[in-house]
Formats: sequence, C-alpha cells, structure tokens
Amino acid sequence: MKKILFSLFILSTVLMYSQASVCGQFHRKYCVVETKRGGNGGWLYNAQSKSGLFNQGSTSKIRCVIYKGMDYRINVCCETAIGDKLTYKIFDARTSELLYDNSTAQNEPLFEFQSTASRQLIIEVTVPNGATSQDKHKPMEAACVGLLIEHKVTERQGFSQY
Amino acid sequence: MMIKRKHFLIAPLALTLVLASCGGDKTEGDDDMSAGVDTLKTETQTEQVTETFFQVPSPGEMLTFIKMVGGKNNKNVSFLNSADNQKNYTDNKTKALNFGIYSCDLSYCSIFEIGSEALKYFKVVKQLGDQIGVSSAIQPAVLKRLEGNLGNPDSLSVITDDVYFSSFEALEASKQGPTLSLVVAGGWIESLYIATSLAKYDAKSPVVERLADQKYTLDNLIEFLKKYESDASVAGVLAQFTDLQSDFAKIGEKDAVASTDKTKNVLGGGKELAITADQYKAIVDKIKAIRNSYTLTK
Repeated sequence: MKKILFSLFILSTVLMYSQASVCGQFHRKYCVVETKRGGNGGWLYNAQSKSGLFNQGSTSKIRCVIYKGMDYRINVCCETAIGDKLTYKIFDARTSELLYDNSTAQNEPLFEFQSTASRQLIIEVTVPNGATSQDKHKPMEAACVGLLIEHKVTERQGFSQY
Repeated sequence: MMIKRKHFLIAPLALTLVLASCGGDKTEGDDDMSAGVDTLKTETQTEQVTETFFQVPSPGEMLTFIKMVGGKNNKNVSFLNSADNQKNYTDNKTKALNFGIYSCDLSYCSIFEIGSEALKYFKVVKQLGDQIGVSSAIQPAVLKRLEGNLGNPDSLSVITDDVYFSSFEALEASKQGPTLSLVVAGGWIESLYIATSLAKYDAKSPVVERLADQKYTLDNLIEFLKKYESDASVAGVLAQFTDLQSDFAKIGEKDAVASTDKTKNVLGGGKELAITADQYKAIVDKIKAIRNSYTLTK
C-alpha cells in the first residue's frame, strides 16, 4: 500500500511539473494570431508574454512595460478544459486606472493598441468560475492559459526622416 | 481562441498559476496595484489573485528599435564585450551575467547583419551556456542554422532570439531563479550600454527617449531581482541597479499629449519623461561603470 501511495505521489508530482513545462511556451504555440492574408503583418514577439496554469476562479497578473511609438497586440488563449470566457483587464500600474476590460467587448481575446506615453501596465487575467458550466462533461480542472504580447514600431503617417 | 489538446493532464495539485517567469510576488504589499486589487475583490469576491509577475523586455527589442529609427547602416562592434574575455569569467556570477551580455551582443550582431561576428558570439554563448546549465537550450544544430542564414538578417534575429528565449525557459524550468535573474540583468545592462554607445544626447532623439523610458523597465527588473535577493550575487547586482534607479528617478515628467488618431485604440493619459543632458550623462556613466564591472573591463 505504501508503495502504491508513494508511486501515486511521484506520479502526481511528475504530472504537475510536466504540466508546468508544457505551459511554459504555451502562448507561442497556441496564441498565434492567424491573418487572412498570411504572414504576421510585421508583428514581433514580445518577451513579456507569459503562460501559466490556471483553474477556474483564479487570477494572475503581470506587470509589463510598453513604449510610446509602438503598436501592441495582446492575445489570450486557453485550453478547452476551463472554457472560453477568459477575461482580462489592463491597468495603469502607477495609478491603477482601468484602461481596458475585454468583458466590455464580449470577452474578445485579441486587443490591438498603442499608448500616448511609455508606461508600466498591469495585465490581469482571470478564468471565471463556472466557465464550463454549460458543458457538464468537461471536468473542472486546471489548464494552460497563454498571454501573447506582440509589438511593432508604429507606422509614421506622412513623410518621415527615417 | 480555445485549444484542444489530447494529452491534457489532470493536475489536482496545481491549484493556481505555478509558473514563474520574471519574478512573481504576492499581491499583498504590491503598492502599485493596491487600489486595483481592491476594486477586483469588490467585483468578484470568489476570485483569488495569486501573484504579480514582473516582466522585462528582451535586449533584442531595444536593439531592433535602434535599427528601425535610423541605425540601419551601423556595423560598429568596437564596444561589444570581446569574445576573448570569456576566459576571465570563472565564477557563477560572472558567468551568468556575461551569458546575458554575450547573448545581447549576439542579438546585436544578428540584428545589424554582422554575420561573422554573430558566429563568434554564438560560440561564446554556447560555451557559457553549457557552464550555467542551459546546454539543452543551445543545441549544436543551432550553429548550422546560423551558418546557413548569415545572409538573411531576419532569420538570424529569429534564431538568436530563440537562443535567448530557450535559455530563459531552461533556467526557469530548472528553478535556477538567481541565475536567470543575473542573465536578464546582464542582457539588459548590455543593451543600454550599446544604445548609449551609439546615441549622442539629443532631447528629441527616439533612442534617447527610449533610454529614459528604461526607468520603467528598471523598476520591473528590480522587483524581479528582489525575489532572489537572498542570493549574495543577486543582492550585489540589486544594489547597483537600485543606485542606478536613483538617477532615473531624477528624470522630469510631463503629461502626455493626447492622441488625435481615431483609427486605433489608444491608451490615454500617462507621463512623458524629459531627460536633460546632465541626467543623460550621469546615467550613461553609471551604466558604463556597472557594465564594465561585469565584463571585468575598463
């Protein structure tokens, strides 16, 4: 019996760390934005992107830096196990002012924006409770959530010295 | 944006976000966001905020920006850390810091299309990477990819970025937080050293503006380092960066100009930084001193 319990403990530990490893680059594999014309429109991967293991009702935040003169694109994606109603909010890190809330846009995972000034942002991602309540066959368990951030230099309008 | 994976693992032990990239920290005590967190708790009492992760842009982002705003023809490598210096890095701290520095130099050579130098720096990065425990992230096949793409700067940049990100992930996965923080610190300081080596002071220069904006990145980096400050090597770097932070804190602020572009989502508000020539010089001097203390050069 002890051997079985020990084996189960080892197995669950391995599973947990395996899952963590899988989540590590989840956003790079699964949050990629597909464009109708192919290519990625000049968007570059931003190293502040992140993936993590969430269960329903959990929230996590990253504090990142964005620069004036750049366009940014955020895309949040997840595994089906925890549903498709991910919400995220963007706050100004200094003032805590809410700058964007995707629940006001039908939980749209993709958001393109630029900023009038360089600043620190808090991006707060939440997997709501009951995200899979409509499908009783899906277990309520943890799953990977990815937050992909991409950037590109804002195209200048009119003539430019560059 | 949902993804189905056949091999989804049941993980009852994983109750919340478990991965750490740039240092996670408990929300409590995070002064910057205290008001925001209170708001969230009011809205959704059952949700639990777990951690805040402090993210740092990669060195390549700064270098790509420099190239795009006017440095396309630059081929200067005189200020990079000589590959020959690698033999001087014998302890874990200098190995980790200079792994970050050389990774940044490698990225610079790739972005500015200096292929022969990129190969040289790749070999140094590979050797140091083996010594700090990221050999699995830098496979010999990468060298062949590099050699096969010397005439293709976009591919070179992708390959060298992959080296940096893979190393980052390997250190993260193996729970080498202190080493990871030193690598990130080394890469960041080298990217600033390169930027300040290329840019003369001009208040309206995009590169100088971007340097001033590093105030925000430094704040994040310091929070990241704090997670591992019990490590003596990290504590030393943290002290240097905190000192540098005091110079960045002197930069003046003014309200950002509102955008008139109605075609894009624009996050309004915020402050623009206005760095003076004296402040710029003080920061440049301190960056140089810190960087050279890591490369063991003058």
